[in-house]
Amino acid sequence: MSKPVKKTRLHDWHVNRGANMAIFGSYDMPLWYPSGAKEEHLVVLTHAGIFDTSHMSVITVKGSGARDLLQVCFSKNLAACVGKDQKPLTPGRSVYGVFLNEAGEVIDDAIVFEAYDSLFMVVVNAGMGGVVSAHLQGYAGGRKAAVVDLTDQVGKLDVQGPQAARIISRIVKRPEEVFAQLPYFSFKGHFNTALPISGKVILTDGTPILLSRTGYTGEFGFELFVAPDKFVDLWQMLIDVGQPLGMIPCGLAARDSLRAGAVLPLSHQDIGAWLFKNHPWPFALPCEIDGRGFTKDFVGAVALQRSDSGQYTFPFAGFDLRKVSAAEPAVVVDDTERDIGRVLTCATDMAIGRHDHRIFSIVSPDKPVDFTPRGLSCGFVKVTKPLKPGQIVRLKDKRRTIKVEIVDDIRPDRTARKPLAKFIGK
Amino acid sequence: MKEINQLNLPENVGFTEDHEWSRKEGSAIRVGIDDYAQDQLGDVVFVELPQVGDTFAKGDAFGSVESVKAVSELFMPLGGEISAINKNLEESPELVNTSPYDEGWMIDVKPDDPGELDAMMTNDAYLEMLKGL
Repeated sequence: MSKPVKKTRLHDWHVNRGANMAIFGSYDMPLWYPSGAKEEHLVVLTHAGIFDTSHMSVITVKGSGARDLLQVCFSKNLAACVGKDQKPLTPGRSVYGVFLNEAGEVIDDAIVFEAYDSLFMVVVNAGMGGVVSAHLQGYAGGRKAAVVDLTDQVGKLDVQGPQAARIISRIVKRPEEVFAQLPYFSFKGHFNTALPISGKVILTDGTPILLSRTGYTGEFGFELFVAPDKFVDLWQMLIDVGQPLGMIPCGLAARDSLRAGAVLPLSHQDIGAWLFKNHPWPFALPCEIDGRGFTKDFVGAVALQRSDSGQYTFPFAGFDLRKVSAAEPAVVVDDTERDIGRVLTCATDMAIGRHDHRIFSIVSPDKPVDFTPRGLSCGFVKVTKPLKPGQIVRLKDKRRTIKVEIVDDIRPDRTARKPLAKFIGK
Repeated sequence: MKEINQLNLPENVGFTEDHEWSRKEGSAIRVGIDDYAQDQLGDVVFVELPQVGDTFAKGDAFGSVESVKAVSELFMPLGGEISAINKNLEESPELVNTSPYDEGWMIDVKPDDPGELDAMMTNDAYLEMLKGL
C-alpha cells in the first residue's frame, strides 16, 4: 500500500509557479520551476536560490538529560566537536552527524542544534521524525529527556548563494547584529517565542525566526526555521526582496546536483542500512584528532570498530555531463572488466568542467578564459576494493558505459565555509 | 509543469504513446519528442542520435535524451532508414525544450511503410490519451 502524499504549506505556490512536481520522502515537492534545473543550479553559485525544505523533520530534545541522551545516540561528541581543536558544542552552535543502530548502520543523518544547555533541536530527513524520535526514546532510559517530534510543525526554507546574506538582511531587524559572528554551523534566534533567544532574529514584520549558517549545497547560505503559520509569508518576503538580487526558487533537482558536486551524501541513498565505514564522511564521527579511535562511546561505535564490510564508498567525477541511472542499478567495473560494485548517486554538476586535467567551476577565480562548461557527471560509488584518487573506473547501466575518475573532491571553490563578511558588503 | 491544456500539440504531426511526434518533410518523415515529453524531462542537456544510414524497426530505441532528471530512450515511431540527424542538438540540446517541433527535431527517416504515419494518433487522440495518464 502506498503512503498518503503529503504537501508542504508552499504546495499551492509551487504549482502556481509552474513547478514540475514529484514525490520525495512522501511529500509532493518541486523538482524544478520553469527556469529549469540547470539555471537553478548555476544561480546558487552566482546569485542565490531559495528552497522549500519544510518536508524535513524537526525534533526537539529537552531536559537535564538531553545532552547525555544525544551523547549516547548521536555520532558526534558534543563535548568535542567544534572546530579543529574540538571544542564542546555550546548554545548557538550546530553539528552534523548520523544516528546509527547497534549494527553500525545509518538510521539517518542529522544536524543537532544546541539552543540551550538543556534544549536541542535535531533536524533529520523527510519522513524520519517519527523514526529518529522513537530511536532516541528507546535509549532515554531514566534520563530527563523529552523527545518531541515536530514533523510538519516547523516551516523550513534554505537561502543559498553569495547573495543570501544581503537578501536576508533586507527582511530582518538589526541585520548588522544578526550577521555579526555567525560562522559556518552556528545559528541565532528561535521560532519559539517562549524562548528568550527568539528575540535575537526578528523579521521586519515582528516574526521571530531561527537563522542558521548551514545548508545542503556546499555554497554560502542559510537555513531558516519559522512557525508554520508564518512560513508562506516568510517565503514571499524573501522572494520579493531576493528577486532584484537575482534570487530564484529552486527545486529538488538542483538541490541534488549541487549537493552531489559538494560531496554531501543523500541519506538512504549514499549512506543507509549498511555499515557506516570506509566513506568520505569521517567528519560525521567522533574521531580522535590523530584519526585513531573515537573520543566517546555511542550506539553503533562498537560495530564500527569491530566489523568491516569490505565495502568502500568513493566520490567520482566524470569527463563529460553524461550520467548513468543509479536507480536501474548501475554497476562499477574496473580495468579488468570485473564488476566491483554499484553506483549510489550519479548527477550532473552543471557548473563545472575539466581543463588541463583540472576541474574548474564557473566561479573559480583562476578559471580559463572563455570557460563555459556543460557540466560533469559526479556522485558516489560503493565498491568492494579500495581505490585511490585518480583511478579510472567505468560505470555501466543498461544503456551506456561512462568513464569516471575517483576523486577526493568534486566542485572546486565552494563558498559554504568562507567568512560571512565577504558576502555582506556592497 | 504545464497543464494538459497548455501543451502545444500541433495538428500537422502524428503522435505516439512514447511521446514522439512525426511529420512528413519532403520524402522523409521527421521525428522528435513532443511538448509533453520535453516538459516532463526538464532541461535537456544531451541528445544521443544514431548515424545516417542506420536502420531500425518500429519501436526500436534509436537514441537517448538526457535531462537533469534522467536518461530516456527514444523509440522509432515507424520503421526505416535514418536519412538525416539534427547536428545542432550536439551543441544546443536545449532546442528540444525551446522548440520541440521545429529546431529541436531529431531525425529524418526514410520510411519502410509511409502509411505508418497515418496510423499515428492525431493531436486530439493524443490529448485524450494524456488525460488518461
